[in-house]
Amino acid sequence: MSATAQTAVQGEAKARSLRLWITAGPGLFWVVLFLLIPSAVLLGIGFFTADDYGTPVLPLTTTPFGQVAGFSPLGWDDGNIVILLRSLQQALVATLVSALLAYPIVFFIMTRAAAIRPLLLLLIILPSWTNQVVRTYAWLELMGPNAPLTWVAHALGIVPVHLGIAPGAFAVTTGLAYNYLPYMIVPLYASAERLDWTLVEAGRDLYAKGFGLFWHTVFPQTVPGLLSGVIFVAIPAFGDYVVPQLLGGDKELMIGSLVANQFTETPDWPYGAALTIIMLVFTGAGLVAFRLLTRKLGGADEATI
Amino acid sequence: MSNVVPRGVRAALSGISWPVYILLYTPLALVAYYSFAPAPNQLGHSLHGYGVLMRDGSVGAALRRSLILAFASAVVSTALGTLLGYGLSRFRVPNARGIAANIPSLIIYTPIIMPSLVFGISELIFFNFVHSYTGLLGAGLSTMVIAHITFQVPYIALTVFARLAGLDQNLFEASHDLYANGVKSFFFLTVPVVRPAIIGGFLLAITLSIDDFTISFFTAGPGSVTLPIYIYGAIARKGISPEINALGTLMIGTVMVLAIGQFAFTRIREGRAKLIPE
Repeated sequence: MSATAQTAVQGEAKARSLRLWITAGPGLFWVVLFLLIPSAVLLGIGFFTADDYGTPVLPLTTTPFGQVAGFSPLGWDDGNIVILLRSLQQALVATLVSALLAYPIVFFIMTRAAAIRPLLLLLIILPSWTNQVVRTYAWLELMGPNAPLTWVAHALGIVPVHLGIAPGAFAVTTGLAYNYLPYMIVPLYASAERLDWTLVEAGRDLYAKGFGLFWHTVFPQTVPGLLSGVIFVAIPAFGDYVVPQLLGGDKELMIGSLVANQFTETPDWPYGAALTIIMLVFTGAGLVAFRLLTRKLGGADEATI
Repeated sequence: MSNVVPRGVRAALSGISWPVYILLYTPLALVAYYSFAPAPNQLGHSLHGYGVLMRDGSVGAALRRSLILAFASAVVSTALGTLLGYGLSRFRVPNARGIAANIPSLIIYTPIIMPSLVFGISELIFFNFVHSYTGLLGAGLSTMVIAHITFQVPYIALTVFARLAGLDQNLFEASHDLYANGVKSFFFLTVPVVRPAIIGGFLLAITLSIDDFTISFFTAGPGSVTLPIYIYGAIARKGISPEINALGTLMIGTVMVLAIGQFAFTRIREGRAKLIPE
């Protein structure tokens, strides 16, 4: 290659990298400045000491993590462990409920005429476009004290007469499943749309029937969508703030409310930051497990950058 | 394809699905029904709740703030996100392999994956620090706009990227051969091609902004109460009331009308596009 051609190639490469930074730079810079740096600051605060106002001061310490584990000057308390386990349980049950409902709905839509499928899908997504506070508040009117579903629960003797279903654990699960069901249905529908039905026919020719037929021919093909749905539901449900606040009350405190309280009602920033770190560790562990599972089960063919 | 599904299974699918559809809309319908109650949990019809709403000046102010927030953030994030999606689809990070080459996508996915509570609190602390050291960015509408732009940018970038990823790269060569420089080919090739993605991204950004509560809640100041924050505060203060139901009804109704209108609009356009021979 001649010297001039080489400089031309180098010049071209330089121009391309310059163009990349001019176009992608501002957006990336924005996210780094206004999200990555702030979250790094938040995580760092977890290692500071809280002063009397709950603001972080030196020296560096691991006391906040002791607080997370339940240690305080008064001794050890299992409150935080209970809250963490409750959040995990609520997220898991909400995810399971959404998945169990999503399968019949997705295949219900798939078996309808092609022309009305987009409409049926839209009807699933539509409620999630209203604000989360309004959506959650709506359930309060169905399950709060002196509300229609509560009357039914009273009649069946499930709930004491002077109480409502909300606030309570069942109301939180319902609220979470309601809020995040569309996030399960949409990815699952995307994988069901690409389903290879000839495999189903082949299975039937080999005398597979009923649930066995579904389990061996349909289910494996929908695993990528299911796993995406699990991530889209479990992660936000685990850290949700609005649903446990409005439908759970003080007895059903979840980790989101516990974190938020450290920055609003009774400020203790280092403790709140340490709680956030634990929350992110669990979220991260879930994501890693998801990556490993998708690799093993051969999914993750979604278009990614 | 789906004719493989036997009739009995179809019936079972319908039997499960229709009740879920009804359940999805029951709570929303109940909000609308109770909005006409004369007082909380009382039966009867009255426009009392709507009257209270109209006389309450703070609701109008909150609505105005919500709209300013949605539009201002969507405009900026659409510009940033479109450029970002375009840049990432056209150019690669030079001399980068492995993790280094993935840095842009890691940055883009962070706001999507991060729990919104962590997102909101990070912003709260950051703005608080910036404000105490520089006096800039006190909590208010401006900090909310910044936070909303931050969570909208990745969605727009991904939408635009997805559209451009399917585009024949030779088109850019062709425009180059026809003496279009970078700026010209951006405006005369890229922009027309991605216009649907840009419009879709802009609408998505507005939807995301209107739907958000948690991030808004932690970045708002005392003078920047938007509609969701107003409703949340009202529920915390006095529980269920006809005027909150009235406000909720108006919000639900607006979203429904807009969504169905948009759906019908795209259907009609698609229908028309089919009539034009290619």
